[in-house]
Amino acid sequence: MPLSFAQPGQTGVIRRITGRDEARRHLENLGFVAGEQVTVISELNGSLILQLRDGRVALDRALAARILVA
Amino acid sequence: MGIQIALAGNPNCGKTTLFNALTGSSQHVGNWPGVTVEKKEGRLRGHADVTVQDLPGVYSLSPYTLEEVVARDYLVGEKPDAILNIVDASNLERNLYLTTQLLELGVPVVVALNMMDVVRKQGGVIDVAGLSRALGCPVVEISALRGEHCVQAAEEAIRAAQAGQAAKPQRFDDALEDTLGQIEALVSPCCPPAQARWYAVKYFERDSRAKLDGLTDAVQAKIEAVIVSAEDAADDDAESLVTNARYVRAAVLARAAGRPAGQHRLTVSDRIDRIVTSRVFGFPIFAAIMFLVYYISISTVGTMMTDWVNDVLFGELIPPAVEGFLVSVGCADWLQSLVLDGVIGGVGAVLGFLPQMMVLFLLLAFLEDCGYMVRIAFLMDRLFRRFGLSGKSFIPMLIGMGCGVPGIMATRTIENERDRRMTAITTTFIPCGAKLPIIALIAGALFDGAWWVSPSAYFVGVAAIICTGIILKKTALFAGDPAPFVMELPPYHLPTVKSLLIHMWERAAAFVKKAGTVIFLACAAIWFLQSFNFRLEMVNAGESMLAAIGGVLAPVFAPLGWGDWRAAVAALTGLVAKENVVGTFGVLFGFAEVAEDGAEFWGTMAQVFTAASAYSYLIFNLLCAPCFAAIGAVRRELGGKWTLIAVGYQCLFAYAVALCIYQYGTFAVTRAFTPGLAAALVVTAAFVWLLVRPAKRPERKLQRAAAAE
Repeated sequence: MPLSFAQPGQTGVIRRITGRDEARRHLENLGFVAGEQVTVISELNGSLILQLRDGRVALDRALAARILVA
Repeated sequence: MGIQIALAGNPNCGKTTLFNALTGSSQHVGNWPGVTVEKKEGRLRGHADVTVQDLPGVYSLSPYTLEEVVARDYLVGEKPDAILNIVDASNLERNLYLTTQLLELGVPVVVALNMMDVVRKQGGVIDVAGLSRALGCPVVEISALRGEHCVQAAEEAIRAAQAGQAAKPQRFDDALEDTLGQIEALVSPCCPPAQARWYAVKYFERDSRAKLDGLTDAVQAKIEAVIVSAEDAADDDAESLVTNARYVRAAVLARAAGRPAGQHRLTVSDRIDRIVTSRVFGFPIFAAIMFLVYYISISTVGTMMTDWVNDVLFGELIPPAVEGFLVSVGCADWLQSLVLDGVIGGVGAVLGFLPQMMVLFLLLAFLEDCGYMVRIAFLMDRLFRRFGLSGKSFIPMLIGMGCGVPGIMATRTIENERDRRMTAITTTFIPCGAKLPIIALIAGALFDGAWWVSPSAYFVGVAAIICTGIILKKTALFAGDPAPFVMELPPYHLPTVKSLLIHMWERAAAFVKKAGTVIFLACAAIWFLQSFNFRLEMVNAGESMLAAIGGVLAPVFAPLGWGDWRAAVAALTGLVAKENVVGTFGVLFGFAEVAEDGAEFWGTMAQVFTAASAYSYLIFNLLCAPCFAAIGAVRRELGGKWTLIAVGYQCLFAYAVALCIYQYGTFAVTRAFTPGLAAALVVTAAFVWLLVRPAKRPERKLQRAAAAE
């Protein structure tokens, strides 16, 4: 399921990040890699605030849709 | 030869604070990720021969952002004697991800473990000795905020530099190590032995910015073969293989430090975010905070302080004192006039805004340092995206309410180049503090001080930003999707007074500097032009060179309703500093001393202007090219070519809008059809077309495809 479908409070494990571009690299450098756990803290019109490791990252909907979680 | 120590670390890890503690220099301290894009260096306290180089905060040494490129070019190219790596202990794994890359550079590394107080507050502990063993480099606990053990960490780095023992890279899994070993053997003849590992990894990642000169095509082909076979074996691309391996190592290191993997529980900061960024409360809270900021800084406290500076300090105290002094030393009349009317009058008018601006910047510094500002960017992102800007564009505009110069400087935090240019062009559409007197003058002289004039100026500014976003996004220059929005959100925290003051002063200093340099010279120049005629005789303003220049310019502005040469000249002096507009009117209407809003000549003003031409004049001055200082700031951020584009666009846009306002306003009163009205209709039609026409991009793609065939 794309992360953009997740609701606040929901936790998932990253399976894959789609696409082959700089945005994906940037996501990986921020810690979005397969096997990592993410929790949705807050959602606003599709943009998300996520808990990843010990940090908090804000993402827009387009990017969140490229992160597949299970 | 002195010792060079580089400070490297993630954004928001306290690097800038540590730099200040080490070098004693005052520098911006904030929560905004990537705030130090420039390289800054300083001498280590108590060690005259040790230079500390502050690198921009980065998450990685990949070549994707400007900050990363700056940091790695320095680390690889200039090879510091040691790296002091600041690691945020409260977000250990993510920070150690960068550390695994720093360890590969062939430079001694010392880790400074910061924010231990946060870890302790969460009830955590960190095994410093264990972490040091696992990393194979010294680890020092510090508190950058309180300045604890900072110098010890630096001294540890000096010792490491003197020992000259390069850090040991972390070992990845066997398959990857095998592949990297093969590449290392291929690249090692062409690079220093200490950097072989770094280049091996970079060549494996197909990093286009890491290039070794001596590498032949044949060797490169061999490397590519090794990469492809490794990728096929792992069924993943090389770069992801390395990224994953690094995270595995970072997790191992965090475990060695006794730090359990991120506990997934809601912190206080998360609970605040749930409310502050929620659909229901997000915007009302934001609006309330913005109103409060504006109310305190512009309407009440800030204005009271500014009034004092203008009326008392630069009204009753300084000018008489200086005049007395000049008279007593028998100074020539023209020099007295230059100093009093030109310099003190001009620079004083500018400095009068300083208190107001300091209050505004202090409040904004609080919003920024406590962590709310990045949430605003998050809130505004979706809205701004509709007209081609990003949420991050909003912060420069907020700061621009005080002064455009620090506003434009704040665009640096926007990584995407297109977004950054667009923001720099539009930021000055928001009326800055210096434009408020023009609004007060027009509102007072022509509109009976109507309440709506001032809000309408902000409204026009916002509308100009939106229209500009839409129009420019459809041109070839700005085509393309806005950059995706990813941003780290530091937890909310109470900023220290010291960091707030440093932060406020950084912005205010930019403004003071402008008053001291550009405006100082420009005031003298304007004084010269308006005091002399072309035969260099001292004359009244009405017969001066300035009047002659205004006479030439005036017809250009006649279609906007203010073909009067004095209005043209006043607008021209507005380029020096917008608050000069009111003062220039004062001088040209024959008043030596005028209040900030020019109340003395409201009557004269009303005879020269109509309601329509006055509003057209107001809007032209708000939207056209900003003052020289702001133009200079644009040039520093964007370069000469883009400054010309920005200023050209702003002037054209202002002219078009002012033309329409005057022509339609006049038509509403006179009901007469004039050539000017026809021109306004044409301009409006062109404007609407620019707004609604299809975007440029798909068209260009098709053309390119056709050309390829």
